[in-house]
Amino acid sequence: MLRSDQILATVEMIQKENLDVRTVTMGINLLDCRAPSVEETCTNIETRISDKAGKFVETCNIVSRKLGIPVVNKRISITPIAFVGAGFDRDGFIELAISLDRAAASVGVDILGGFSAQVEKGLTNTDREFIHALPDALCESEKICASINIASSQKGINMDALAMLGKTVKEIAEKTRDQAGFGAAKFVVFCNQPGDNPFMAGAIHGVEEADTVLNVGVSGPGVIARSLEKLISSRTDLRLDEIAEEIKQTTFRVTRCGELVGRQVSDMLGVDFGVVDLSLAPTPKVGDSVGEILHILGVDAIGAPGSTAIVAMLNDAVKKGGIFASKTVGGLSGAFIPVMEDAVLAEAVGREDLCLEKLEAMTCVCSVGIDMVAIPGSVDSDTIAAIIADEMALGMINNKTTAVRIIPVPGKEVGDSVSFGGLFGASPIMPVRNAGKSSRFIGWGGRIPAPVHSFKN
Amino acid sequence: MTTQMIISVMSRDRTGIVSDITGAIYQLGGDLADLNQSTLRGYLTMILFAAFDEDITPEMLRAKIAEIESPTRLDVVIREVTGPVAPLSSELPERTYIMTTQGINRKGIVYGISSFCFTNDINIMDLATTTSEDTYTMVLQLDLSAVDSIVDVREKLQDYAEENELQVVLQHHDLFKVTNEIPF
Repeated sequence: MLRSDQILATVEMIQKENLDVRTVTMGINLLDCRAPSVEETCTNIETRISDKAGKFVETCNIVSRKLGIPVVNKRISITPIAFVGAGFDRDGFIELAISLDRAAASVGVDILGGFSAQVEKGLTNTDREFIHALPDALCESEKICASINIASSQKGINMDALAMLGKTVKEIAEKTRDQAGFGAAKFVVFCNQPGDNPFMAGAIHGVEEADTVLNVGVSGPGVIARSLEKLISSRTDLRLDEIAEEIKQTTFRVTRCGELVGRQVSDMLGVDFGVVDLSLAPTPKVGDSVGEILHILGVDAIGAPGSTAIVAMLNDAVKKGGIFASKTVGGLSGAFIPVMEDAVLAEAVGREDLCLEKLEAMTCVCSVGIDMVAIPGSVDSDTIAAIIADEMALGMINNKTTAVRIIPVPGKEVGDSVSFGGLFGASPIMPVRNAGKSSRFIGWGGRIPAPVHSFKN
Repeated sequence: MTTQMIISVMSRDRTGIVSDITGAIYQLGGDLADLNQSTLRGYLTMILFAAFDEDITPEMLRAKIAEIESPTRLDVVIREVTGPVAPLSSELPERTYIMTTQGINRKGIVYGISSFCFTNDINIMDLATTTSEDTYTMVLQLDLSAVDSIVDVREKLQDYAEENELQVVLQHHDLFKVTNEIPF
């Protein structure tokens, strides 16, 4: 038998420290569902999803019970819908969204991602129709998450799309005004979007993938936090490299759990296993926070000087531990800092410790980006576009994935708060300094060309 | 033809016990096939499986061991093995589980859990316990191959734990293997 202390450590991880498999996401190819009419395409899509994912939720539950480790979410990602619906118009895309919503409900998943397009080089007519459909699509569906890739290190930034999207984000929030703009929490704008990320709202089943694939998102900010606390309280002579090593080793164990669950589910379903995304993804639950880790690692206020360096170390240690633990690592794989989904980060906003500028700096060294940030509903669309532009530039130049999921909450200003409940969390409204001063920049349109280091031929 | 024997030895721990016992086996021309030992609170217990020529008897081996000038008393039980011997198996059954229980230390915890396992057709393959302050912790490696419904066992275990004020967790062995072993 294995050593008792090792066994007990693993048990504690799951029972007390909130280790779980955050999501098992089935990626499904829908390219060949395209039929001459929207109606037929919808039928094909619903049949395809039902065929592939009919037993998905049940299988996850069986494996979860067998191993004794919770699988919190079962989700689906699809081929970016703009490819599937090539040639359809805005109304067609809205119908597709409703159809996907039905399909998701029928197989019992809580979210379906991939209502998406990839426009980093240019917008097709279909892409434009897709963008115009977004506000209604997200308002009239419940389980659908949308995204769009408007920039890449290879192709630069599509500034025409960017200008449109500043307005789109506001429209989406307006359309879902009675839910405090929740629609915008289901839409992400990306640079260098990966095709195998299992986390929502930005999950897609990339066109480079096979027909069906299973990707796993593990998470365990709580596990990391507790193991660091134990280490710190047991030693007085700790150094940062030893702390980094502890994070790395703990991440190893966390990732291994996810890989085990993922591979067993994919064996049972007869579906290829894709990747483990070993991101530290927080939830609003107490003890499940990335912000808490930053406190433990030495800043009294998140957003204080040192916050960026700490996130850099954390992100890097997480990647190293996870890479050794899994045969195939992919997706986003790093530390998330989604403000509304992390109670400690949200609190830092309320205390004015954490501002948008510092958050932007931290996104240079972690995965994702300006994520789940609530801003005043009055911020103009050009400023929103410019916030996105900054984040896209960070990703493009630094060869990493960055994204913006920002919610301009209709009718709310600094000093107010917003709550979406459940996993989407709550936070005070974050101020946007220098709003309304970026219109001339956004007005240009065109492209920001690909950076010089993209020319590797 | 050979005489096969199972030999059990208990003694206060000291250096030289293993060489004393295996020496006696060697002197009688025995072939030591398998051995397992553990120590607890300063006492050693050992179990050995050895094969001898057919003219060697347990009484002869007992006499040989008695010749040892041991500073500690050696309690020895020797039994001849006549039926089929269970094969050496390094593969764990597919349904190997790890159960961990923790609770305030009191009499009867191990008895209670082991009875539960017996009643539910669960075989205890290995078991380790520790006490710290007033908490008693048990870690058991279990074989649930003979269990009809693991879901039912989990429910009954939950009830048992509540009735007896224990925290009990039952998880598949794979989980512990992957988080603690390289390679997987």
